[in-house]
Amino acid sequence: MSSLTVSESSGGVKTHTELEGRNLAYGYTKSKMVFEHINLKTFENELVAIVGPTGCGKSTLIRNLGYLIPPTTGQVFLDEKEVKKPSSRISLIHQSIATFPWMTALQNVKLSLVCKHLEEDEANKVAKEMLALVGLNGFEDYYPKEMSGGMRQKIAIARSLAASPEILLMDEPFVHLDELTATAMRKEIYDLVFNPETSLKSAVLVSHNLQEVVQLADRIYVMNGSPASIIDEIKVDIPRPRSQREPIFFQYIDRLYSELSGSMKQ
Amino acid sequence: MEITIIALATLATVGRILALMLLSVFSGWGLAYLAVKSRRFENTYVPLVNVLESIPVIAFLPVVLLVFIAGLGGTIGVEVAVDFLVFDAVAWNVWIGAYQAFKTVPEHLLQVSENYNFGFGRTMWDLYIPHSIPRVTSNLFSSFADAFFYISVSEVFTVGVRTYQTFGIGTLIAVFTQEGDVTGLYYSLASIAIAVIVVTIGLTNLSRRSIAKFGVDSTLEISHDVHLNRRFRALDVFRSRTRSMSRLAGRIAHPARRMGFEGEEGPPTPIIHLMRVAAKSIIACMGLGVFAYLIYSSLLIAIAVPGAQWETFISSTPFLLFSMGADYLRVLAVTAASFFVAITLGYVLATHHRASLVVSPIIQAIAAFPAPTYFPLIFIATLPFVSAALPYSYSEVYVFILGFLSCFYYVFFDFWIGVQAIPVQFWEVMRNNELGLRTRMRRIILPGTFPYLITGLSSTINSAWAGIAIGEYWPNIFGNHTLEVDHGMMKYISINMANGQIASAAWVSFLFAIVVAIYGIVFTRNLMDLARKKYVVEEGVYAA
Repeated sequence: MSSLTVSESSGGVKTHTELEGRNLAYGYTKSKMVFEHINLKTFENELVAIVGPTGCGKSTLIRNLGYLIPPTTGQVFLDEKEVKKPSSRISLIHQSIATFPWMTALQNVKLSLVCKHLEEDEANKVAKEMLALVGLNGFEDYYPKEMSGGMRQKIAIARSLAASPEILLMDEPFVHLDELTATAMRKEIYDLVFNPETSLKSAVLVSHNLQEVVQLADRIYVMNGSPASIIDEIKVDIPRPRSQREPIFFQYIDRLYSELSGSMKQ
Repeated sequence: MEITIIALATLATVGRILALMLLSVFSGWGLAYLAVKSRRFENTYVPLVNVLESIPVIAFLPVVLLVFIAGLGGTIGVEVAVDFLVFDAVAWNVWIGAYQAFKTVPEHLLQVSENYNFGFGRTMWDLYIPHSIPRVTSNLFSSFADAFFYISVSEVFTVGVRTYQTFGIGTLIAVFTQEGDVTGLYYSLASIAIAVIVVTIGLTNLSRRSIAKFGVDSTLEISHDVHLNRRFRALDVFRSRTRSMSRLAGRIAHPARRMGFEGEEGPPTPIIHLMRVAAKSIIACMGLGVFAYLIYSSLLIAIAVPGAQWETFISSTPFLLFSMGADYLRVLAVTAASFFVAITLGYVLATHHRASLVVSPIIQAIAAFPAPTYFPLIFIATLPFVSAALPYSYSEVYVFILGFLSCFYYVFFDFWIGVQAIPVQFWEVMRNNELGLRTRMRRIILPGTFPYLITGLSSTINSAWAGIAIGEYWPNIFGNHTLEVDHGMMKYISINMANGQIASAAWVSFLFAIVVAIYGIVFTRNLMDLARKKYVVEEGVYAA
């Protein structure tokens, strides 16, 4: 089977597969598999979400996709080529916001430019542009501890974007933010992810928050079971910008809820 | 017969060390209580302990001779002098541990004790002491190892033509090495090995049980296993300062002081009031008495020194400072080598679990076994080759080796633990951004382990002094061989002692104490402040 898969993205435009996980499985031992038989794809200009109950291996799966944790079995393909080690082309944003306390915001962002071997001026320019993109213009010389949780997460996002990744992996990126900040950032994130100024082609979001997932995702993979597997793939067909007050929004939430709770009962 | 004596001597040494460890624990609790109750006492006590901890035991020899042997005299004087030296090796770790534990009693527990109007006895018995036990028992490992490290200089020392010694394995080892009795030396080393293993197992069990029973903070439990396997408190100090302790200390300080006698609700009965006043007075009088005795003895010594002698002291000071400079260069060389080994080996072991399973126990064994006890064997086995290869500087090689064996594991273990403490998210960022080893080291690993490195380097430097102090002038290290360097402050102290020039040795020790105090304040304290302010790796992961 070729990794080049022509399909319809959420917008109805035929695009090719950007990131593909094929028959992924992960376990501590063969008898203790966390998940198995996972097949998923992302297409260009598409945000894909993965939902599932706690402990089903969502965070591990997203790290498998970035090869930060190699899968026990299975393969990952990026733009048709097999991924065999972590790459700055696939960038991860953590659940627990990770910024380096001894570096300023600018230095934190520049860290992801090291592998590009840019001149100092050029690196500064790119890092400042990325900080401006996430709304941190003027905060270049601030240290993370001088900033709020939301601002720190923006630094992490800017750092990820500065590496010019093609795929952005987001592991519950808003879970440690207060609801107001998280709501504001959710509104920003979609535009940010697919901003023409960035190199991104698609993104994968892991979340517990069903509202967040329906708000942001073009497609949703539902994981459940033990060992976990993909039990459903839902295309979210709600025009953007999406309002959480629309009945169709609730229909998606209900569907996800019943799938997750139904499986849990089993 | 020889084996019986060796066994008895080992028991005597271990008994002496354990008894003095116990004394240091009780005195540490008392001093720690005073420190958390009185800001004035705390401001004097903590820096003083830090400075005293930095001074190698050997530098206390002149004081010991002048105060105890000259003052008390006889067998008792010698025994007290030896006990003082051993106490010097064991006390500081325990005192600092007790102070930190008292200082970091969780606020909610303090509030409970306030709520129920706990008096001095109950506060100590039910709160401060139990809370301090895990930390104090952890620090006993390093105290025990430090005491054993110094047995070769603390149990037996020579002044002029007279040798002062007390019964113990350190004295026997000195005798065996002077006589070139390899068999006796091997038996002694085996005996020490057994003692170290038995006491380490005992302390390990004690520590585990105390953690299980008295541990109230999960971060302490995390660091516990580390303590079981190593001989120093540096990491403990760091962790306590950077984790729960740093969060709590500031908030605790006020209620801790408030919770003193005055803070208790309701007027005490006259008898209780009288007892409290009496207890405070006794403690204060004892402290003042010891302090006054030391001042009095020092004044007597200073007065007894003739004017001409003072002129000699002053005129010799530039030379002594030059010798001190030479010693600092040696310390620098040993520290640099230790640092290099630490960051290379530490990184490899921290990132390769299987390798760490093999190598770390080896390093722990080296750390647990006192280098001066086996060093004469290394010396005699390698002397022909080393002296042939480096006929003019082979002594420096041996001083370097002894210094290195005395201290490299401090910074190694601290760095190793520091690397392991780097959050997994940071490792993922490094891998995700394809950072090379050099960039990882420069931008993340070294800054991320900076507080660990500072505590490790501080301990390394202190212990490098210990090894260098012993190695610079070691008469009869094996048979008729004497190990000595050309120039060195520690050699100067040792030779003055051997020649009975105690006042001269005391003058050098005094100069050294000043330099160490300045170093402690300028270097260690400032760098530690910087580490706490900027390089706390745990603060890099935000999880509200």
